[in-house]
Amino acid sequence: MIHAEDLSVSYDDLDALADVDLDVDEGEFVTVVGPSGCGKTTLLRTIGGLEEPTTGTVTVDGDPPDVAQSAARLGFVFQDHTLLPWKSAVENVTFLRRMAGKDPDPAGARDLLTTTGLDGFEDARPSELSGGMKQRVAIARAVHLGADVLLMDEPFGELDEITRDEMGVEILRLWRRNRKTVVFVTHSVPEAVFLGDRCLVVAAEGDADPAANGSPGRIVAEFDIDLSRPRDESVLGSEAFGAQVARVRGALHGDT
Amino acid sequence: MSVADRVPVPDATLPLAGLAVAVACWWAVTVAFAIPPFLLPSPAAVLARLVGNPELYLTHAVETLRKILVGGAAGVTAGFTLAVVVVAVPLLRRALYPYLVAARVLPKIAVAPVFLIYFGVGFETAVLFVALVVFFPVVVGTAAGLSRTPDAHLDLLRSVDADPLRTFLSVRLPHALPDVFAGLKQSVTLSVVGAVVAEWVLSNDGLGALILAASENVQVDVMLAALAVLLPIGLGLYGGVLLCQRAVTWG
Repeated sequence: MIHAEDLSVSYDDLDALADVDLDVDEGEFVTVVGPSGCGKTTLLRTIGGLEEPTTGTVTVDGDPPDVAQSAARLGFVFQDHTLLPWKSAVENVTFLRRMAGKDPDPAGARDLLTTTGLDGFEDARPSELSGGMKQRVAIARAVHLGADVLLMDEPFGELDEITRDEMGVEILRLWRRNRKTVVFVTHSVPEAVFLGDRCLVVAAEGDADPAANGSPGRIVAEFDIDLSRPRDESVLGSEAFGAQVARVRGALHGDT
Repeated sequence: MSVADRVPVPDATLPLAGLAVAVACWWAVTVAFAIPPFLLPSPAAVLARLVGNPELYLTHAVETLRKILVGGAAGVTAGFTLAVVVVAVPLLRRALYPYLVAARVLPKIAVAPVFLIYFGVGFETAVLFVALVVFFPVVVGTAAGLSRTPDAHLDLLRSVDADPLRTFLSVRLPHALPDVFAGLKQSVTLSVVGAVVAEWVLSNDGLGALILAASENVQVDVMLAALAVLLPIGLGLYGGVLLCQRAVTWG
């Protein structure tokens, strides 16, 4: 579904990302974990066509990202919920679909909000919603868009840990039902392990602070997460989960 | 939810009482000290002027209002358009924006005599002057507001390849409205000042011209009567902008 080859991204004087080869299958849930500033957000944005590759290519279902954009096949969820403060929850959900030039489906949007736990809040403004609820609306917006690929950039980064765990379960439930292809960027190792079929570790080699010396981020390790699905909170306490987290942590700290 | 539901009606009793007391004091002072009417006429004398020749004040008020509305509309349109262009073209923004901000410091009143030389006396010149005065706060407010759209919102729209006009109308403009109205509120106040100054220098009719003529003839009662008409015009226009703002903005 997503194919990247020899991908690198450089800004004026900063190499953000280098030597990325990546394949994501249809319906696969891939998580990307790494420290802040390692280039993982750049990777996501490049897949989604918000950044131009300096070298190499990216395709989504065989097409370059700008074609996928025009066809509304890419559903971004950012760390900032990016809801419009003057629109209600349901208007925010339908808004992006409208902007993409697709037929409006307000009834579908309401149903979706109900199933994402926002029953009764359909007409609330973002200022009346909690942080977790706002992100639920943002996720519903991406699903309602009808995108095949969800590109999520630390969507739970600003939530407290309890809400984060709940949202993790929620997103898995949504994914089970809709079977979207998901690329999910996070700096939380447990979150990456809990959510993913596969977890990619991105790091700037040889240095903890890539911004300082311009060393680009690379995919330094890749793990198949062999935890059975469906997963819920009970997984978080299991031994297998702990072992998997430890392996990813190890890779992050350089001892692969 | 209507405006009335949201905004509690402020209790007008005390302000009205304050006004009544002030007018009463004014009256008492003119009577008690037998102040000659050419220095300070009593409220009754001012009222008598107004009631005695309402047509005079009405005609001039209409002239002043015309200048404000025509000039204001032109200035707001020009200011808004330039702001959109400046925000859309980064090169222009870098080249022009500092001067647009700096121009607010320039007393536009000082430009009126220049207009007199170039364009002569007349309605059009006065309108042009009002437009100039209104122009700057609108440009600066609108440009600031249009630049305020969070990058992430623009990214979101880019991710579905939304067309620029829809992006502008549905996201950029609503984000800008609070700043646009901040500029408009400055402009509406300045438009009344601008119209009066224009009527002193660039035009022979309107309440400003009436005040100037009355001043030359030491008719303080006429001046005060004209001011009494000017005040509600200014307040009404400001209130109109405020109502528009409440109707279209959020939060």
